[in-house]
Amino acid sequence: MIEIESYDFADDVDYAASQQQGSQSIMRSNSGKMKDPEGGEVVYVKDNVSIHPTQYMSERISGRLKLVKQDDSLFMMWIPYKGQNTNTRLSERDRNLYTIRPLPITDVRSIRRHTPPLGWQYLIVVLSSGLAFPPLYFYNGGVKEFLATIKQHVLLVRSADDANVFIVNDFQDPLQKTLSSLELLGVVPVVAPSSAAIAVSPTSESQEKMAECACDTNCGSEFIERPKYKVNDPARDFSIQLLEKFSLVTKFARETTSQLFRENSGENLFLSDGRKPNHIPALPAAPPKLPPNDVQKVSDEVHVPEDPLEFYKLALIWGNPRQPPLSQEEWGDFLDSEGRVVDSEALKKRVFYGGIAHELRKEVWPFLLGHYDFNSTYAEREYLRSARKEDYEIIKLQWQSISPQQAKRFTKFRERKGLIDKDVVRTDRSFSYYNGDDNPNINLLYDILLTYSFYNFDLGYCQGMNDYLSPLLFVMEDESEAFWCFAALMERVGPNFNRDQSGMQAQLFALSKYCLVHWQLVELSDSPLHDYFKQNDCLNYFFCFRWILMQFKRQCADIYFSSFAHHRELRYEETLLLWEVLWTHHLTEHLHLYVCVAILKKYRNKIMGDRMDFDTLLKFINELTGHIDIEPTLRDAEALCLCLGETGAACIPPGTPPSLPLKNALVSSQLEDEILGYTILRKVIADQIASAKEDDLVAFELVFRWEW
Amino acid sequence: MATIGHNNLNAKLVLLGDMGAGKSSLVLRFVKGQFLEFQESTIGAAFFSQTLAVNDATVKFEIWDTAGQERYHSLAPMYYRGAAAAIIVYDITSAESFARAKKWVQELQKQGNPNMVMALAGNKADLEERRCVPAEDARAYAEENGLFFVETSAKTAQNVNEIFYEIAKKLPRAQPPQNPAGMVLVDRQTDGSRASTCCS
Repeated sequence: MIEIESYDFADDVDYAASQQQGSQSIMRSNSGKMKDPEGGEVVYVKDNVSIHPTQYMSERISGRLKLVKQDDSLFMMWIPYKGQNTNTRLSERDRNLYTIRPLPITDVRSIRRHTPPLGWQYLIVVLSSGLAFPPLYFYNGGVKEFLATIKQHVLLVRSADDANVFIVNDFQDPLQKTLSSLELLGVVPVVAPSSAAIAVSPTSESQEKMAECACDTNCGSEFIERPKYKVNDPARDFSIQLLEKFSLVTKFARETTSQLFRENSGENLFLSDGRKPNHIPALPAAPPKLPPNDVQKVSDEVHVPEDPLEFYKLALIWGNPRQPPLSQEEWGDFLDSEGRVVDSEALKKRVFYGGIAHELRKEVWPFLLGHYDFNSTYAEREYLRSARKEDYEIIKLQWQSISPQQAKRFTKFRERKGLIDKDVVRTDRSFSYYNGDDNPNINLLYDILLTYSFYNFDLGYCQGMNDYLSPLLFVMEDESEAFWCFAALMERVGPNFNRDQSGMQAQLFALSKYCLVHWQLVELSDSPLHDYFKQNDCLNYFFCFRWILMQFKRQCADIYFSSFAHHRELRYEETLLLWEVLWTHHLTEHLHLYVCVAILKKYRNKIMGDRMDFDTLLKFINELTGHIDIEPTLRDAEALCLCLGETGAACIPPGTPPSLPLKNALVSSQLEDEILGYTILRKVIADQIASAKEDDLVAFELVFRWEW
Repeated sequence: MATIGHNNLNAKLVLLGDMGAGKSSLVLRFVKGQFLEFQESTIGAAFFSQTLAVNDATVKFEIWDTAGQERYHSLAPMYYRGAAAAIIVYDITSAESFARAKKWVQELQKQGNPNMVMALAGNKADLEERRCVPAEDARAYAEENGLFFVETSAKTAQNVNEIFYEIAKKLPRAQPPQNPAGMVLVDRQTDGSRASTCCS
């Protein structure tokens, strides 16, 4: 049902904003006097509006969307770019198939706006004929302006049933006026164009409702009563006929597009606390069109009902399915006869998607951490191992040879010993490898940490390093190897422990930008969590401090408060998995920041619903310990990383940990300026925090203004 | 800042002190009634809340438990600003930790909220045989600086509830509203019927 008499959009923030922007864009285009080759006036143009012919985001056809005014009519067109398809398997034929040739906007029945929590906003355009075009993904934004521009030329009415459905109504056409007023459910079902590979449903749930209504006269009363002022409309019978017809269409559409059907149910799910709606049709055995090779397992793997986010990915799969851990046989295949890793990128990718079987970690971790070169042979590694062992013993001797008399005159040494002493005895003590009195592994932790504080005297020892070392020693089972892996890891995450907190600030800053970019670019108008953080002084993302400092170790390893030993071991295992995935640096060196975003995203309704302030949020996040499911979180993080793409990567100032510090010689002068500017701003932030007089927000606002 | 409702007070409390002095253990004892022999080190900060009944009113403590290592010192102002109360913790078996406690007192006197209720806790009182800091020294120092002093043991629970109870009693009952600075408490009304005493 629509409210034909009233087209007040005041309650729709999006729309209210768009009206202004819309008129601006009209003005712009008027002054520019853009003319379409075909003689019309271009009133709207947007690049990078794409369709995905299959459910895989990697298969994408990008093009240009235009609205052209000719005489008094408005036309919509979408032309794919030539030769720029992301996937070579998409043929010229595909391009032509999906091209939208100039189409009078009055032929459009309705436009549905989708704002999935993962991915870009998209529109589904449904024609009066009942046909629909594939979803148009607005990679560069522009949904608001698109709707606003249409509204300048034809009456666009928002469905009262669904705020995201906009019904195009041409009052010149009395038949359409009547039809529109009979849009009882705010929905028009859809069939695919001739391709049949794509068929889309605007609202599965409503369609389901419609189908039920059509079959079951008992529930039909609901919609018959709705248009109260139209009860005597002779067209009512006609509408019922339509509905019956549509229900058949729905059945067809359901069979071909049940993947897409689920998406809307997902939206409802998200709002209703994970409760599964009754209307979801069954998942088919296989997606309609299966691409070959490694993605074929998708249909088995994607269904994770307890995580509402998963439903979205049924519509468009951004991340890849997780795989079983790298096995001994596979590892063997990665090595040549002399022990070199033949294709290190493939290995990293394999580990990224599945982790490593535990017994293999000892062999593979030194590569991931950069302790061994991928190109080294068995013999070279054997030599390196013994040479490094000698090196380690020499450094260790440096502190072992300090006599009590010397120590008395060596305050720094005594202090460091004291710090390490206090921390090793409380490092993962309830984990079997470290529990019990006089556990020799505790002594090894102590020796390695003190040796490291001599190896890297400037950094020294800092609380949290013990947490990094503990899993390394457990996996490597060798003092010297654990030390060198630890040293390699500290090359990456050591800046987390900088005295001035610069390493942490850089990452928190990057995180805030990821989130901002995510919420502003990907979700466009929908950045409620960002606004919420802003209102609640949470924009510094400090509540993620521990996640980042420890690379989630404490988050997974619920060592102290879990009553079941088995549960604890499992959590420890999850830390190992998460770390090796992060260390691959496949896709990004900063996956841990995407993991933060993924978790915040998952809980954003809870955070906002419970109106958490900074303190409560920090408490909430601390209490998530042990409740973060690694596999789905990693998938979400990967998906976010793919969504943000280069825009996301551009958020990260060069040298942000765990990226290795930049070599000055390689820094261009422009980059230097950026780094300098960034450093100054970081100092501003640090000063603001330290002075404790001004709101944190001010500093972060400064940064945002500078960056944007 | 302490905020006052109808007979209910919300008070932000921060724990400061050297690493390994027992800050987290004191909080864990007070909030959950538990003690862990090997309490893991605190990274960043942890946040807890606990409500105490004092006479006819309740005080809801919103507790910030901080990381002790000097390395994380630069973060401390984020936690102690706007705090209505602070417990500065040292370890009676460590003279260094007592020296560090004095530094915290100085810093709070200089930079903290001037109306802050400060308590000095000499923790690990159960380790009498390893004592390095005489109780009299600490008491004298506390008196000079207007602090409330008590020796505690998170392990045996000695004086743990008492120190929080004393702070609750000392909190000013009404305060003129001040300009909130950054991380302040939201003025939430505590539901009196849900208030409970600690560890009950």
